[in-house]
Amino acid sequence: MTLATPVPEVLLVDDNPADIDLTSEALVRSKRRLHISAVNDGSEAILFLRREGKYSDAPFPDLMLLDLNLPRKTGREVLSDVKGDAALSSIPVVIFSTSQAASDIAGSYKLGANCYLSKPSTLPDFLAAVQSMADFWLGFASLPVKEKR
Amino acid sequence: MRSKKRGGHTPNLSTYEEVALPIVPAILPNLPGDAPAVGSLRVLLVEDEPADVELALRALRQAGFAAKGDVVQTPEEFTELVRKNSYDIILADYKLPNWNGLESVEILRREGLDIPVMMVSGALGELTAVECIKRGAADYVLKDDLARLPESVRRAMREKRLRDENKQGQDELARSNRDLEQFAYVASHDLQEPLRMVATYTQLLAERYKGKLDADADKYIHYAVDGALRMQVLVRDLLAFSRVGRQGTELATVDCNRVMETVLQNLEAATKESDAQVQYQQLPTVTADGSQLLQVLQNLIANAMKFHGTEPPIIHVACEKKGRDWVFSVADNGIGIAPEHAETIFVIFKRLHTRTEYPGSGIGLSICKKIVEHQGGRIWVESTPGHGCTFFFALPVQAAKQEAR
Repeated sequence: MTLATPVPEVLLVDDNPADIDLTSEALVRSKRRLHISAVNDGSEAILFLRREGKYSDAPFPDLMLLDLNLPRKTGREVLSDVKGDAALSSIPVVIFSTSQAASDIAGSYKLGANCYLSKPSTLPDFLAAVQSMADFWLGFASLPVKEKR
Repeated sequence: MRSKKRGGHTPNLSTYEEVALPIVPAILPNLPGDAPAVGSLRVLLVEDEPADVELALRALRQAGFAAKGDVVQTPEEFTELVRKNSYDIILADYKLPNWNGLESVEILRREGLDIPVMMVSGALGELTAVECIKRGAADYVLKDDLARLPESVRRAMREKRLRDENKQGQDELARSNRDLEQFAYVASHDLQEPLRMVATYTQLLAERYKGKLDADADKYIHYAVDGALRMQVLVRDLLAFSRVGRQGTELATVDCNRVMETVLQNLEAATKESDAQVQYQQLPTVTADGSQLLQVLQNLIANAMKFHGTEPPIIHVACEKKGRDWVFSVADNGIGIAPEHAETIFVIFKRLHTRTEYPGSGIGLSICKKIVEHQGGRIWVESTPGHGCTFFFALPVQAAKQEAR
């Protein structure tokens, strides 16, 4: 009996629609089989992950890209919530932020971020960063098997 | 250390100003005896003889000062009162039973207070009088010549007011410089984000629509991409420039030979590309901020490699002690700099060549200048066009040591 491997679910959390588009563009260009969802603020991200309100049918992400500067609930708070919640803590969280401040980087890892990626400032670098990130997390890395919920 | 003291006593200074400023114009007209008194003159007398206290205050009142006096006789009382109250002037007897009134000058200095001290004493002798002035007393007046006291007090207070105004001017200048730095930092930092949008999306347009619109469109998009990328470099450099000084300097003992080794490692690619030779003899160990010293040397050497003539660059680096400075030099055999440009090259974003001749944003030398000046030094260039140039920078040996403590 063969089981079709499920399509990896990627959640983008970013308040800048231009960055959502650009990240999606980069992911699409990676030619990987994946499904992208996106939310624009921290509170929405938590609702999405907990399948609350309008997100009752939301897919459980295999990988999450999280911006730090978000309205309502900051990326830091989202990260802390995710890593403090037994049902969510196994999701690999890649912080994807423009900040290169040492305190942001160290603080994110301390809260349990799985990777910190600075948004590159030119198109070729941006595409390369997102694609190699996807290659690693959705290709080479072994991810936890999702429990039925 | 100095600024800490000043900061700690700001409340005293401002109280002083509020009380004292209205008086000053009133006592400025030089009318001995009958000038109307406005406000009061708070006097602290270091004196053990009640009759002398009375005489001194009377001399001041007769000259129009509404003088109010407190009297102390020991260093402890003196310290307590100058901490508690604000005084316009101090009249100190030179000879007291247990201490020397001149020590009040030392106490004020220690407390970070600027209050003129007049020595009022019996026969002092010329040498002692000179010693008083040397150690910071504003003036000395003999007890049997108290008629001279009011004018002397007026002068001391005028001088004090000028000192205050001068200090105020300096403080304002320092504040406006800080504001400007803050502005440069915030502007360059916050510009990065929208600029990233412009750069990446014009690049995306170029990539996706190249050859699909018309030739003009391709050209225009290229201009937009090029402009955005250049602006990114400028903004990043401006940010780097505004960071110098914000991060403070960490002085340590630095072996310049080690610094040079790192510089040469960092410049390995440029060295190979330009076929450069970098020569230096045994360099000294100095007290400096190591990473900043590295940045300055690396910038100067990279420039020497970049602005070479027809011959491959040969660069001499040296450092010697001259007077109170360590003077570093970076000499090259490159294209040189005309004397009329010797100053402008240190101005931020100033370039003498087009970008196609020599790439770069024109930030390097201005960062060098800022770093060197932050450490109390200076930087300059000597050159004969066509025969290379030598960049010098001097870092004070002594100042560096003092700050390191």
